[in-house]
This record gives sequence, structure tokens and C-alpha cells, in this order.
Amino acid sequence: MKRAHQQHRHQPFDSILAALSVDLLIQILERVDDPGDRKAWRLVCRDFLRAEALHRRGLRVLRLEALPGLLRRYAACLDLLDLSACPGLGDHALATALFAGAGSWLLKSVSLSRASGVGWRGLAALAAACPRLESVDLSHCVGVGDREAAALAAAEGLRMLRLDKCLRVTDVGLAKLAVGCPALENLSIKWCLEISDIGIELLAKKCRDLRVLDISYLKITNSSVKSISSLGKLEVLSMVGCSNIDDEGLQFLDNGSNSLRSIDVSRCDNVTASGLTSVIEGHMCLQKLNVGDCFPELAPLFLSKLNGLKDSLTVLILDGFQVSASSLKIIGVNCKNLSEIGLSKCKWVTDEGISELAAGCVNLMSIDLTCCRMLTDKALMAIGEHNKKLVCLRLESCSLITDKGLEYIGTGCPKLEEIDLTDCPITDTAMKYLSRCWELMILKLGLCDKISSEGLVHIASNCQNLCELDLYRCIEVTDDGLAAIATGCSKLQKLNLCYCIQITDRGMKHLSCLEDLRDLELRGLHHVTSLGVTSIAIGCRRLTELDLKRCNLVDNVGLCALAQYTGNLRQINISYCPVSSMGLCKLLGTLKCLQDVKLVHLTHVPVERLELALRAYGGQLKKLKLFIGLRDLLSPWLIQMLHARRCRIRWVDKPLVFSP
Amino acid sequence: MDFKLRRPLEASSNASSSMMSEISRNLKPGLPFIPCDSTNICYGARQEQSFSEFPPPQVTQCHGLYAREQKTETKNQLEPSSAVNDLVMDWNPRLMLSNLSFLEQKIHQVQDIVRSIISQEGRANELAAQQQLVTADLTYIIIQLISTAGTLLPNIKNALLSATPPVAQTGVVANLPVNASQKHHEVLSVELAKASEYDELIKDLNSGGEGDELIKCLNNSVAEVSESIPIEDHDIKDYDDGMDGENLPPGSYEVLQLEKEEILAPHTHFCLICGKGFKRDANLRMHMRGHGDEYKTAAALAKPSKEASSEPAIIRRYSCPFVGCKRNKEHKKFQPLKTILCVKNHYKRSHCDKSYTCSRCKTKKFSVIADLKTHEKHCGRDKWICSCGTTFSRKDKLFGHVALFQGHTPAIPMDDAKVSGMSDHVQVGETTNGMVANMGYNFSGNASDDAQSLDIKDVDDGQGYFSPMNFDACNFGGLDEFPRSAYDVSESPFSFLSTGTCSFIPRNGEN
Repeated sequence: MKRAHQQHRHQPFDSILAALSVDLLIQILERVDDPGDRKAWRLVCRDFLRAEALHRRGLRVLRLEALPGLLRRYAACLDLLDLSACPGLGDHALATALFAGAGSWLLKSVSLSRASGVGWRGLAALAAACPRLESVDLSHCVGVGDREAAALAAAEGLRMLRLDKCLRVTDVGLAKLAVGCPALENLSIKWCLEISDIGIELLAKKCRDLRVLDISYLKITNSSVKSISSLGKLEVLSMVGCSNIDDEGLQFLDNGSNSLRSIDVSRCDNVTASGLTSVIEGHMCLQKLNVGDCFPELAPLFLSKLNGLKDSLTVLILDGFQVSASSLKIIGVNCKNLSEIGLSKCKWVTDEGISELAAGCVNLMSIDLTCCRMLTDKALMAIGEHNKKLVCLRLESCSLITDKGLEYIGTGCPKLEEIDLTDCPITDTAMKYLSRCWELMILKLGLCDKISSEGLVHIASNCQNLCELDLYRCIEVTDDGLAAIATGCSKLQKLNLCYCIQITDRGMKHLSCLEDLRDLELRGLHHVTSLGVTSIAIGCRRLTELDLKRCNLVDNVGLCALAQYTGNLRQINISYCPVSSMGLCKLLGTLKCLQDVKLVHLTHVPVERLELALRAYGGQLKKLKLFIGLRDLLSPWLIQMLHARRCRIRWVDKPLVFSP
Repeated sequence: MDFKLRRPLEASSNASSSMMSEISRNLKPGLPFIPCDSTNICYGARQEQSFSEFPPPQVTQCHGLYAREQKTETKNQLEPSSAVNDLVMDWNPRLMLSNLSFLEQKIHQVQDIVRSIISQEGRANELAAQQQLVTADLTYIIIQLISTAGTLLPNIKNALLSATPPVAQTGVVANLPVNASQKHHEVLSVELAKASEYDELIKDLNSGGEGDELIKCLNNSVAEVSESIPIEDHDIKDYDDGMDGENLPPGSYEVLQLEKEEILAPHTHFCLICGKGFKRDANLRMHMRGHGDEYKTAAALAKPSKEASSEPAIIRRYSCPFVGCKRNKEHKKFQPLKTILCVKNHYKRSHCDKSYTCSRCKTKKFSVIADLKTHEKHCGRDKWICSCGTTFSRKDKLFGHVALFQGHTPAIPMDDAKVSGMSDHVQVGETTNGMVANMGYNFSGNASDDAQSLDIKDVDDGQGYFSPMNFDACNFGGLDEFPRSAYDVSESPFSFLSTGTCSFIPRNGEN
């Protein structure tokens, strides 16, 4: 009613709407992509705000207290509501919020992932309020059980549901959902360890439209696979780590329905080549095959069967196998359309094999060669020569590759977006070559102790899209390097500077202009003081994760700055920092979004003050790390209260040692 | 012989139990008379023997179809029949005579009926019934004739006859038509190997469509009467007393039959010195040590060795003392019991009162205490309940049921409830549509706590709580085929909202 009234209200004469109608405004808005720009748009005037409200389809709520206001504004148009960042959201709050838009909800998709405060009442309210609900994500809500599943089952139109790690869901809950939501197409019940064959059997009988099913890590047996094989529309089946399933079970999948596009049987210990062969025979259109860590050796039979998938297969993950050069050659010859191959931790992967593979599968976009320690520059040369479309390359711990090899990559793979060079003996020269890949978004250089600021300058000069940079223990990196990164890569979201011991407050000052920064690790930076942290806090307002462990100079001032400016902070580690009770109380008392706090060895905080600070915390703590010696010193009442509020306390049994 | 029927007799004279059993054995032959008119005789006989407390209803019940003007006549029959039964030997002319005279009466009876049909023509209903009666009687007479003639066959073995229970013998004489025909059929085929021609005849009679129907209709008409015959019942049940599947040829084993008192005695081993009873011989031997050093020797304490290992041990099997029971050696399909323990359990389960009641469910009763204990282990727990109210002891059975019926879902079991202090009823009471349909009614709208809100309800009266109006007013598309049983009690998800929440769905529906 209120909204309608506002819309019909007489517009002031000087309104922007006199010149541009709402339709036009929305059309303009559609061309504004950057979230920052959209934020600026919202702040222009009320009419812009209203236009934005009419245009918006999705909403992710970062702070619980804003939820009612946001929903009042957006209730009518939203398709998607993401509440995953609100662990404090309870049944009452959710139901009240839904009540705000009662009767007008068009919501199709709701994410409550990790929002562990929502129980069956909230879900029942959701199901009742949103008749068009199609997708719900409850993953990692460890408290969700049968009752919640039953409440959700009232949403008849549900097509997609994620229940990953909903530990209390049993066959009964699954049966409720299977009966209540017969239209389910996409279901994940990963880690729902209580579910057994009986539940899966009923699911397969009731939800005939299932297309995507994830049953990873369940304790199910072959009979489940038999019931699953009756699903005629199934396209994607993930059964990672189902050790009770063996070849006999996989043979059930060879039933001629031929709908399966993707199957993941990695870590199924009892599956062997013969079982996979039968799957391949039954589904000649298989596109994705993940058989990582199943059985040690690639049988020739299996390889020859891959020939049958010649045209369709695009993804092949063979992690942990013994893959000889000849095997790779066969793959290269047979699977011309392969776009992704995983050879992580494979033994016997040689330059020769990679060369054959690269020459055969020219369309490869992603190559995972983690821990293939025998590879040298020759392999990279072959990749650079043949795989022009390469997007992702992982070379962690390939300790024989050099700068020369990366030259081939830099020249040959212009579309590279992600490269992992952790623990590779490369130097700044390699960075120079890599900087030619201007679309680079993820760069991991951990433990590359020869990389210095010079290399970062190369990267910063050309890779403007970089959003994740890992410089873990790159001890040569200095403040100048950070200055270059901060100016060149303004979209950086994730930065790891742990143990880059040369970095000082000046570097922090440079970083403070990275507005998008969300995840920052500053572990063990001895030269960074509260001043540096303050500048970060003021500049990087979107920070959600911060690691200050062993920053010996960061004290209360830094914490107060964080408390004041980084309202979205969700994880913080201030173990070993010389903070006192005042800073801690300020931090815990002000920040409402904190979920994960590590407070090991805060030597300047007396026990009673620590207890006070923990009691004062008003948000929803999910994880807390404390020194084990405090277990008996803290009052049992506090510990009980924390447990009651679903907070898990991890007690660390490490003696207090000051690192050099 | 029905145990229940016999009890009053025993109650009347506990002291002379041996004499009682004598009498009751004497009475056994009379029992098959119960279903038909001649029952009266039997009871009459008892009354003569001053067992006046016998309940009369049976007598009136049996007044049925044949008993019109027979009372006086049939009384005569008693003496010969009981006398006859005492000397159950081979062919007995007196018995034959009594049978024949009985048949004569029967024929007279039929004549009467036919006459009455002639005199009162017109009323179709009665006519049909009377016709049926006549055909039934005639069939019966034929069967009786054949069986009586059958006893005259030269090849009957005395031994066989003596082994044949008096039941069978008298069954020949005067049983219900149905029973008689069946019994006879079997008796003849089993025991009288050469009586096949009779067999054929009876088969024809039985299989002939008309005869069949007739027997059926007779069966119906006297259904209430036959209820008082426990004999056939016992044949059907009690397959679980052990020994099933063992196909020892008859005669290859020795059959022992313990007396009822022996079976029901709490102790079977008695100390010869002090008279104390024990369940096990080993316990008795332990006890004996207290009576002197001579019982303390290794030989006295040792388990009595099984002697005669050289010759093949005689296989011993047991018979139930309850006449008519399938486990009784006189039964035509006798299945022996393997051990004394089997006998005890069988006798208690089948022929004794179920005196142990389950303290949890208050409904299940058992006569063997071990059975009660087994039941109590599972009672109330592991109950798998469907939303329709059907309960299952096994989860896979419930899921099979759920898979079969559209819209049924399993109810959430006990242990999954996070709410403590909830009663069974609320637990159980949870249905898919109930959750929606009853919202806002269960709770007045301000309860915020799980436990509280769920406890508000008076669980004893779930029905009263949900007036039919609830269902009609808030029926959101479905599943009202579920009976509003006790399981309909459901929790409202909206306990924290006002009752107005109910309007969510209808309103959306309009949009």
C-alpha cells in the first residue's frame, strides 16, 4: 500500500523523471555493470534509487540489521535473495522480513548457505510466503535436519536444492522432500551422512525429473546406484568418496538411458577400470569424467574405451594416477575435444607425454600439473605452442621449470587467466613474460623467494584484471612492489602477504586504495604497526577477512580503527598480537558480522576481560579459537552459552613462542 | 477340548485333579457334539454330574436348526455313546446301532421339513431356506452312512483305531456336516488305505458344485456355533513352535507326552531330601552339596553322562497334551515338538492365558515372559510411522509404503526432534498438509519457544483441537484423503506470527 502510494504521488516539477522516464532510467542502468558505479547511482537521488529498486533482481544482504529495510524496498521485484552472509538470521527475523513483502513475493531463489540460525519455522514461513520458490541453498547449515526438510517440502515447485553438510538430514527428511517436491531437478546431498540406500531409492522413485545429483561422501552402496540408474533424465552425477560403491554398482549405470553427461567418481576407493569401462560403454555422450584418486594405474582397456567418447569428452580428471607418456599420447589422439585435463599428483608425467597431449588436444583450456615434478621447460614449450586457448595452468611444485618455460606460456597463451606457480624456482624475468597475459586474474607466487618488487611492477603494468595475488613468503617483495600493484591492479580482491617481512606501514598505505579488497593476510609482518592497519581499515571498507597473526606491532589503535571502519569484517585473526582488553572489547563490541575469531595467546588481555569481551559480543560467532589453557579459566557458563549459540570453540595446544 | 470350557470344571474341584482329568477325558468324546444338536446331550450329561455352573448360552445357541423336538430322544443317546467310547476297540455294534438310530432321526427330521414345505407353499424366502436345509441334511445323511459303513471294512487295524483319537471316532458319528465330511475324507484317506472307493464318492460329493455351495451355506448358517470349536483353530496357528521343516517319518521317533501340570510346573527337578524345586538339574546338583559330603564328590557333581553311545540314540519327540492341537500326537497332521522347552513354550503360547501385558503399550499380551521381554525391547521404539498413521516396525517397509502411495510421507521419528519434552503424540502428529493446514490454530501466536509452543497442546485430545472447520477453511490444495487421525496433530511453523499468516497462500493464489 505504502509503495503504491509513493508511486502515484505527484512528482515534483524539477524531478529527473520529467526529462527521463523510469523506463529510460532502467535502460541506462542496465548498461552500468560495475557494482561501485551502481552504488553511486543509488546515491544520486530518490528517483534513481527507485529506478534501481525496480530494476534489481538479486540481493545479497551483508548485514542483518539492514535486512528489513532492504526487503521493504525490494520485495516486489526480487528473484534472488542471498542471505548466506547472515549467520545471525533466526526464524523470527526471517519470518518478519518475509512478512514485509507478504503476498507479493516473486522470489525464485533463496540462499541460506551457512545461515545456520534458520530452523524449520523460518523455512516453513519461506515456503509459505514464496509460492514461486524454485531454488534453495541450505548448504553448510549443519543444524538442518528432517524437520527443516519437512518444512521446505511444502515448496512444491522446488527445482533446485542444496543440502550439503546438513548433517542431521536422514532418510525421513529426504523422503519428505522427495514426496513434497516432485519437480526437483538439481539436488545435492553431499555429506548428509545419515542418508542411506533406502532414502536414495525413494528419491529415485519420486523425483523422476532429477538431472543433477550430488551424493558425494554418503555411506551408500551399489543398490543406491541401481535406483539412481532408473532416473532417465540424469545428466550429472557426483559420487565423490563413496567407498562402498564398486564396479558392480557402476555396472547398473550401463542401462542404455544414455542421458548421463558428467560423472564424478573420484576417491571411490573400490572403483576400478572395469567399472568405469562399463559406464563409458553405457553413455557414449559423456562429456565430463572425473576418476581422480580411484585406482592407481590406467588400464589399457579404459584408455581404449575413451576412443568411444572421442567427440563428446571435454573434461578428464585423472588426479593421482600413474600416467605414462604412451597413455597421454592415447588420450591426445582419442580425445580431440578435451578442454580440461587434471593430472595433479600424477606419477610418471614427463615432457614427452605432455607434448603428445598438447599436440593432440589443441582445445585445452585448463591444465592441472600440480606436483608433476619431472616436468621441465619442454612441456611448457609444447603447451605454449599448441594450446592457444589456455585459460588456467597449474604448475605448483614443478621444481624444474624456469623462466624460459614461462616465456613460451607468456607468448603462446594470451588468454591465460589463472596460473599457479607456487614453489617454482622462477624470477622476476618470468613475471615480465607473464605480464603479456593481460587477462590474468589469479596469480599465485607463494614461496617464490626470488620474486621481488620488480616482478610485481611488470605484472601491475599490464594485468589490470588481477583479482587474486598470492605472495606468501615472497621475502624480497617490498613496499614499492605493493605500490605498483595497488595502482596497477585496482580490482584486487584477495591478497596474501604473509611473511613478506620487508613490508612496512608505507606498503599498507599504498594498499589502502584497493577498495575492492576483501581478503587480506598480513601474518608475521613485523614492521607493520597499528598505523598501517588503520590506513587499511579506512581504505578497504569491504574487507571481510583479515589475518594479523604475529603482527607484533599492531595494538589497540589498529583494532579500534578496524572496529570503526570495516563493518563487514567476518573473519579476523589477532593471535599473538599485543592487543589489550580495551581493543578487544571495542572490536567485539562494535563489529556485528564477525563469525570467525582467532584469539590465541593474547598475552596482554586478562582472562576476565576476555570473558567480558566474549560475553559482550552481540553477533553470531561460529568459530572461536582459544588457547587451551583458558578452558578451565573461562567460566563454564560462558562456554555453555557459546555452545548454545552454535559457536564451535577450537582449543589450541601450542606453547607461547615468540617467532624471531 | 477347549481349555476355557474345561476350566470351570477344574475350579470346582481342585483337590481331586486326577479324578477330574479322568472325567474330562471321558467327556472328550462328547465334545464334537457341541456344534450340532447333540451338544445338548453333552451338556446335559455334565449337568447330571452336578457341574451346574456351566454357562448355559451354548445350549441355547445350539438350539439351531436340528434341535427342535429332539431333546428327549437324543438324551437316550448319551449312555450308549459314552459307554461306547470307553471301549474304543475295533468294530462296535452298539456304536453302529446308535449311529443308525441317529440317522433314522435325521431322516425323520428331513421328512418333517419336506412335509411342512408341502403344507405352506408360497413364501419364497422360507422355501429357499428350507430347500437348502433339506439338501444339507441329505448330504449329511449320505456322509454318515458312508462313514458308518466304512467302519465295517475288513482291513481296519485295531491299532490304528485305538491310536485314533476318540475325537475322530465320534467325529464320525456326529460332527457338523462340514467338519464331518472333511474329517472323514481325511480319516479315510489316511488311515483306511483301501477305502479309496469311498474316498472317491466323498470327493465327488465335496467337489460337486452343488454340494460345495451347500456346505458353504451351511457353514455360514452355523458359523456362530462353530466358533466354539477351537479344534480347527489350533490347526491353523502355532507354526512357530519349532520343529517345522523337520520331516521325520512317523514311527522313526519315540513320542512323549507330558501332562499339563508337568508342563506348567515352575520346577522340574526336586531335591529328594528337602523337596526344594529347581529349573535345572545343574542347580539341583549344586544344591545337593549342602546336604552332605557325599554329594560333593566329583562324580555326584558331574553331569550325568549320556550312556549307550554304542547303540543309536532314540530320537525323542514330544506331543502336546492338548487334544485337537496339531502338536498333539493324535492329530491327523501331527507335528511333534523337538524339546521340552518347545513343549513348554508351545503350551503356554497356545493353550494358556496371556497374562503378561506390556507395560508400555498396554495392549500386547504374552503368555511366555521371554516373549514379553523381546517385545518390550522394541515396543515404542523404532516405530516407523507414515503420515497416514500406519506404523511399521522397519524403516524399509515404511519407505516401501511411502513409495507406493501418492502423497504419503514418513513422520519424523522420535530421536530427530530437537525439541525436548515433547510428547509422543506431537512427535507423531506431523503431516505434510497438516503443517500448512493447521497453521495459526495450534498456537495462539505469541509462543516463541519450541518446547513451550509444542507443549501447549493437550495431546490427549488431538481431535477436539482441530475442528473440521480448520481443514475446510485452510485446505491448501490437497491431501485431504488422510483421515484426521490422532496423527494429524501438527506443529505450526508460525507460532511466532499472528494467525493472519494463514492468508499468505490464498492471497498469492489470487495474484
